[in-house]
Amino acid sequence: MKKIFCLGFAASLLLAVGCTTVNSVENAQKIGQRQRVEDKRVITDVNFSRKVAIVAVNSANTSGGLLKAQVELENRTGSLRRFLYSFEWFDADGMQVNSILSALLPEQIEGGESKFVSGLAPNSACKDFRMKLISAD
Amino acid sequence: MKNKILLSIIPAVAALIFTGCATDAHYVQTGDKEQIVSLGQINIQDYTSAASAAVKALLDSGAVDKVANPPALLEISRIVNNTGQQVDTDLLTKKISIALLQSGKAVTKIVDAKASGYQQENDFLNDRKSTRLPDFTLSGKIIETVERAGRTRRTTYTFQLSLNDPKAGVQVWEGEKEIGKQGTKDAVGF
Repeated sequence: MKKIFCLGFAASLLLAVGCTTVNSVENAQKIGQRQRVEDKRVITDVNFSRKVAIVAVNSANTSGGLLKAQVELENRTGSLRRFLYSFEWFDADGMQVNSILSALLPEQIEGGESKFVSGLAPNSACKDFRMKLISAD
Repeated sequence: MKNKILLSIIPAVAALIFTGCATDAHYVQTGDKEQIVSLGQINIQDYTSAASAAVKALLDSGAVDKVANPPALLEISRIVNNTGQQVDTDLLTKKISIALLQSGKAVTKIVDAKASGYQQENDFLNDRKSTRLPDFTLSGKIIETVERAGRTRRTTYTFQLSLNDPKAGVQVWEGEKEIGKQGTKDAVGF
C-alpha cells in the first residue's frame, strides 16, 4: 500500500514538472485592429495541428512598402511544443521570391500559450505569402 | 537446444542493431528537423536565425529608407568575435547584405580590390573628385555565455548589430538576437 502511494505521488510530481502552462492578461478593449486574412489551410499532420493550432492570420504593410504577415498560434496541450516555421513569399505573378526571410526557423511554445510568429517580405514586389509549420517533437 | 537457438539469433540481432545505427551520408536542408545542435559552437542554423531576425527588424524599422539618394549605400564594418571559437563573420554578414540588396533598399560598398581599382580609374578619367561616402555602416559583436549546473550546460550566443550613420555620428538602428542551447551533450535534432 505504501509502495503504491509513493509511486503515485512520484508519478504526479513528474507530471506536474512536465506540464507548465501560461496565464496571460491583456487589454479587453483592443485598440490595435488586426487586418485579418481569409486563409486556406492544408493540414497533413493532424496530430500536430491538434496540439498547436493556427488561430488567425493577419497582414499589414511597413512604412517602406513591404508586406508583413503575422500568424497567431495556440498550444492546446499542457506541455512545451517545439516546431519549425517558414514564410514563403510570392510576387504579383505568383512566382516565389527566395531569400533568407524564407528560412526555416526553430521556435517553441509553452503549454496553453498563445504566440505570434511573423514574417516580412524580402522586397516590395512580394504581394502574397504562405506559412509552413513543421513539428519538431 | 536452447543454447543453439540463442547462438543463432544473437548475431542476427547484433547485425540488425549495428546496421540500424549507421547512417549513410545524405543531403540535408539547413535548419531541418535533423540539424545538429552543438553546445560548444555556433551552428549554421544559428547564423541563419540571427541574420533573418536582423534583416526583418532592420527592414521593418525603415531605417535604411531615410536617405537623400536611395538606395542607401551600406558598408559592412567590423563584427567582433567575443566567443571562444574561430568564427568567420561572413557567415552572418553576407546573409544580411544579400537580403538588403534583394530588398532594393540598400547597396553595399565594393570590397573587391579589382572592382575598386576600376572605380578609381573611372573616377580619374572622368575627373570625378568625390566618391560617395557610405550612408550607413553595419557593425556588431557575437558574444558567447556559458552556464553550468552539474552536467547540464547552457550556451547562449548573442548576436548584436548596429546600423551607424557616419555623417551624423549616430546609431540609427540596433538589434540583438539571443540563441540559447541547453543539454548535457551535442545532439541531432531540435
